[in-house]
Amino acid sequence: MVAQDFISQGFQIPLPLMVLLLGGIVTPILGLIAERVKIPRLREVWIIVVTTGAFCSVYFLYQQLRTVSGNVIVMLFWGQSPPFGGCFEIDMLSIFMAGSISFLGFLVAIYSVSYMEKESRLTEFYTLVTFMMAGMTGIVMAGDFFTLFIFWELMSLSSYVLVAFLKRRWGPIEAGFKYLLMSATASAFLLLSMSLIYGMTGTLNFAFLAISLREVALSPWIFMLFSSLIIGFGVKSAIVPLHTWLPDAHPEAPSPISALLSGIVIETGLYGLTRVLYLAFDPGFFQIPIAVLAVLTMTLANVTALLQQDLKRLLAYSSIAQIGYMLIGLASGTAYGVMGLFLHIFNHSLMKGMAFLSAGSIVHKTNTRDISSLRGIGRMMPVTSISLFIALLGLGGVPATNGFISKFILFNSAIGTGMAWLAIAGVLNSALSMAYYLRILITFISRAQGDENIEAREVHPLMVGVTLVMAILIIVFGLWPAPIISFANKASRTLFEGMVTYVNAVLS
Amino acid sequence: MPPLMPFLVSVALMLVIGLGCLMIKRDMVRLLIGVEILFNAANLFFIALSTQTSGYIDPFAHSVVMMAIVLDGTVIAVGLAMVLNVYRHYKTIDIRKLRRLKW
Repeated sequence: MVAQDFISQGFQIPLPLMVLLLGGIVTPILGLIAERVKIPRLREVWIIVVTTGAFCSVYFLYQQLRTVSGNVIVMLFWGQSPPFGGCFEIDMLSIFMAGSISFLGFLVAIYSVSYMEKESRLTEFYTLVTFMMAGMTGIVMAGDFFTLFIFWELMSLSSYVLVAFLKRRWGPIEAGFKYLLMSATASAFLLLSMSLIYGMTGTLNFAFLAISLREVALSPWIFMLFSSLIIGFGVKSAIVPLHTWLPDAHPEAPSPISALLSGIVIETGLYGLTRVLYLAFDPGFFQIPIAVLAVLTMTLANVTALLQQDLKRLLAYSSIAQIGYMLIGLASGTAYGVMGLFLHIFNHSLMKGMAFLSAGSIVHKTNTRDISSLRGIGRMMPVTSISLFIALLGLGGVPATNGFISKFILFNSAIGTGMAWLAIAGVLNSALSMAYYLRILITFISRAQGDENIEAREVHPLMVGVTLVMAILIIVFGLWPAPIISFANKASRTLFEGMVTYVNAVLS
Repeated sequence: MPPLMPFLVSVALMLVIGLGCLMIKRDMVRLLIGVEILFNAANLFFIALSTQTSGYIDPFAHSVVMMAIVLDGTVIAVGLAMVLNVYRHYKTIDIRKLRRLKW
């Protein structure tokens, strides 16, 4: 290929990613202008425009993808052919994840306009949020390990700083350093697993890996690769022996960031694990280890959550438990189970995102996170509390919420693949988890005893509106799950039947 | 084609040293150095494996490693900034004193 062709093919980049990266670069400039010229709310309007643009461009990409044969779009960098260059590959799974990311990001952006009003350094805050979303969007659209790693680090770096954002208190700094240390070690192991893959196959492209890594004979190197992949992705997605940063980092971050971290960042880690494991190994190879990790994750997180007094910390432990349920879908090794996994990722992003946002509203008004001193808050902030209850019931898996649908599919898939013990463990854990969700509910609606003297009113209408919209969506997707199930079904099938087109799209 | 064994041994040593550093050391700056050693073990492994193709040295690994060096540099920079802030709050950079968050 002559040089002219390389230039004419240009540097293609997926539209949502371009919107978010551009938004992140322009935000500091706009922030500077807003501070000099004193235009109020310029940054806030801009961040909402950027996140709306990201969501709309995901939709455009979806429409474009439906017309392409095989439902895979490959975007090359300056026309480099895949074994040696990075590329983006967009399929239904990428669109599904990018849709969840930009939807939650949009809601969180609206919420944080009102929540972060009193804070300083807002320009940095919005820049980092935009780059964190850009990082996640890049991860789900990456076509090779190298591109994935770059966006992985972009996401991680932004989230380290965002966790430690309120640096005038000691809590965020301690939690942030703990998060950074564990997560950076995990990144090193991810790089090590990349080098192992490169040594075995000579490429990092996912499509080439799918062909070549399955033919590598079982050797100690394969087990080393598998364990360093589990460490690399597992720390970010808080699988149990590696979860200790999460209960510190999520409560200490500002509430919109807790919602983003718990709602979608840890799931992005799980997406990476799912994508790589299904590309590189046969399901029979990793089913049992992942199933054991799932049981460990669920049980330990649920038991520890029972002991918590801190509202946000309890929700953080509940996130770990939900990761355990999602791992059931990964362990099942069937398209049905993976559909449950991705459905639960979307549902969890709504439920846990909203739980953290409502908890954030309560903390914002009362300045306390202690559950027992929040007795009777439900009577003072009725709308926020009702949305929180809906989210908690959804997380517990009560019918008529969307959490029930995805948990049902997950447990069903475990039975379908012959691991009934996994489903039993899941159901028992679900029952156990209701204990602490109901404890919050009872404490909040019972009458104040008079000695707590908390004063609270409803928060700003914008914050109430966001939580209310998410509560309605939880009920709507619980009663009418057909569209989202069919979308998740398409997304999960690309991991199984779509593999051939995925590979062909790159090799052609 | 240079022999792979010396590189393998040194990568294994660096992994052990890095992980040992993370487990034993109290000083937060040294912990970050331990992370850096782990990153460099992976980088060295990349470079060592790129020499194993017959006839040429694969430039792909080099571009990956250049990028990875930049990325872990930024991570360490953020980490050092956090160490500064830890010092402001706790007046120490001993990791064992950071025990206020429990469970």
